[in-house]
Amino acid sequence: MTYAVVRTTELDLDHFAAATGMHPELVRKFVTLGILDATCDPAGGLWFAPSQVAAAARIQRLRAGFALNYAAIGLVSDLLDRIAVLQTALRRARQPGG
Amino acid sequence: MADRDFYQILGVSRDASQQDIQRAYRKLARQYHPDVNSDPAAAERFKDASEAYDVLSDPKTRSRYDAFGPDFRQVPEDMDPQTWRRMQAGARAGARAGAGASSGRAGPGGPGFSYTPGGDIDLDELFGGLFGGRAGRGFGPVPGADQTTDIRLTVEEAYHGTHRTIRLTGEDGTRTVDVTVPPGVTDGQRIRVAGQGGRGSDGARSGDLYLVVRIAPHRLYRLEGRDLHVELRLTPWEAALGTAVAVPTPGGEANVKVPAGTSCGRRLRLRGRGLPNTRGEPGDLFAEAKIMVPPRPTDAERDLLEQLAAVSDFDPRRRE
Repeated sequence: MTYAVVRTTELDLDHFAAATGMHPELVRKFVTLGILDATCDPAGGLWFAPSQVAAAARIQRLRAGFALNYAAIGLVSDLLDRIAVLQTALRRARQPGG
Repeated sequence: MADRDFYQILGVSRDASQQDIQRAYRKLARQYHPDVNSDPAAAERFKDASEAYDVLSDPKTRSRYDAFGPDFRQVPEDMDPQTWRRMQAGARAGARAGAGASSGRAGPGGPGFSYTPGGDIDLDELFGGLFGGRAGRGFGPVPGADQTTDIRLTVEEAYHGTHRTIRLTGEDGTRTVDVTVPPGVTDGQRIRVAGQGGRGSDGARSGDLYLVVRIAPHRLYRLEGRDLHVELRLTPWEAALGTAVAVPTPGGEANVKVPAGTSCGRRLRLRGRGLPNTRGEPGDLFAEAKIMVPPRPTDAERDLLEQLAAVSDFDPRRRE
């Protein structure tokens, strides 16, 4: 019987690049800019949570739609996430009995 | 902040790669930029992170920082780290004026460069290029960002108004701000303190400080805007026959007239007895009737209640 040594739910750089349609070097750049979250294993390989595929897609849409540079995309992504959290809280507070 | 370790500020290890440093800085900058985070303490963290990144992002200044520590800017370009350490130790140990002694030793080390600590190098020029240049890059004077912080008040303080001295940790270190809270502020209201926010660059005006009022829950009172709600406990006979009850308010006792035939949950309003309002109508006081029965009635009370039960044909569960 064999066991997977790595966390199977996470994607390595090549699989992540394939899933997002981006070049691995661009993925690395996004990690350096702090706009994609990745963990680094002892061998230096990057590992991505599945949610980061959607984050990568949003980065590409923002870049194409608003001509933002990557540093600005980081800020916009953070603000959108904050707004989403606040909107959820607001909806809950407005629900009767919630 | 020269006394804090730049690596610690960015939250990276001393052997972090340039990519790690850039990633850490970008994340901190997005979190603590004065226009993203209006907490006064965020401005200081942003400034610290920027200073740390300025130094650590350039491999040349980073290696000098690693070799000479926080004082690296005062060290001549071609200084050998070991010589510098010996000099520092000598300056500390020497009973004579340290400056003269160390400059004498430093002189031969640098050809064509005579260094006198605190003398020849214009620190303003060195630092000005680093920090003044950041905000002023092509914009001229830029006004400071507004900042926001919470101010916690009791219901009594909100009613009467109060004075507060607030300590804020900002980009210039800790500062205190004296604030007068007017009577009748409401939960969530913002009090503007002009010119006490983030500092502007190149002499531009500072931003404003906004204090968001948070009123702590009270044992007796509940606030809804300026309206004050209190519980009015009544005996069944007081509720049935009517009475006058003194109700506590932050402004002293208020006399509430309870009309005969008051049921539980009825709200009696005393107009204008809520929180005052410096710009308009004050709030109202609402006393909500809550009928309490004796938990252990005496024999006499029980007798009378049984008589009442026998006589009365009142049915509260009957639907009309």
